[in-house]
Amino acid sequence: MSSGWSLTEVAAHLLHHEEREAVLGDLSEAHESGWRGLLDVLGLVARRQLQLWKSWRPWVSGFGLALPSSFLLMGASVAVTVAYQGLNAQKSLNQPSLFLSQALLLVAWSWSGGFVVGKLSRQTLWASVLLCFAPCLFCFARFRIPSLSRESLLLFLLPAALGALQGLRRTRIRFRVASLLAFSVTALMVFLWSNGRLWFVNWSLIWPVWYIASTARNASGEVEQC
Amino acid sequence: MLGEFEYVLITTAAGLGNEAYGAAIREQIARTTGRKCSLGALYTTIDRLETKGLLKTWMGDATPQRGGRAKRMIRVTAKGVQAAKDFYDAVTRVSRGASWVVNQTGGATE
Repeated sequence: MSSGWSLTEVAAHLLHHEEREAVLGDLSEAHESGWRGLLDVLGLVARRQLQLWKSWRPWVSGFGLALPSSFLLMGASVAVTVAYQGLNAQKSLNQPSLFLSQALLLVAWSWSGGFVVGKLSRQTLWASVLLCFAPCLFCFARFRIPSLSRESLLLFLLPAALGALQGLRRTRIRFRVASLLAFSVTALMVFLWSNGRLWFVNWSLIWPVWYIASTARNASGEVEQC
Repeated sequence: MLGEFEYVLITTAAGLGNEAYGAAIREQIARTTGRKCSLGALYTTIDRLETKGLLKTWMGDATPQRGGRAKRMIRVTAKGVQAAKDFYDAVTRVSRGASWVVNQTGGATE
């Protein structure tokens, strides 16, 4: 088996199983050379991806959510770390509630953002992941605050990844649970806002929870799993 | 209305009948038009036509000459036949009087 043909078979894994079978079979039957076959497969993969990008979903998921949210969530991650340090240093009465609110919001924002990204862009998730990781790597390499570890930037990644996985699996969320989540997040944001702990730009992180609530409402009545 | 390549694909698939699948259609198109179509153009067009209800596809049996891989079989639906007929009629109508069209007496019109 030539190296060209081996590469063709590897590239064909970017296609769905049935299409991969049909395409590799067609190439084999036509006695195409390995390199010609590789070009054919890559051409088909490129056309499939281009078709996906004709929809609004990957654009919203990548450029409307993954890219901007990663910057904001890195900021929120650092804010939670700073609040945690302040919790030990100060003895203010409302300090624990502020820290808890910030930490809960970080988890909720990250999970809901990841969930919506996974749900909206199953086949273009790679692009959303790249658009999320690029700012992370950029900031991680330039982070220079002696009192904080660089890893504190990435606190949001775990709940975001969990949300993305659940979004990919199209996990259904009950309307009651989704609306409770949306109202809780909103209430926590108002609480932090009134205490001067929320940057106004962070209000843009609210839309994924409300999107989840609105889609859960549309899907209510079906068999649900949370 | 169909596009040119869509018409070529439907007509070729209809001509191949029960033997219409990717490699056979591709070979037939290359033979009749003198141009080789890419797999990308072929399969994305098949998908588009299937979405429109003009074709129906299903996975066929695996054969040894294909390395044991299955074929994606294709059948033109009644709607596909009608769309191809409409395209052909439109091209025939629009071509009337064109200098390159052979007239009924066998010569080219001037």
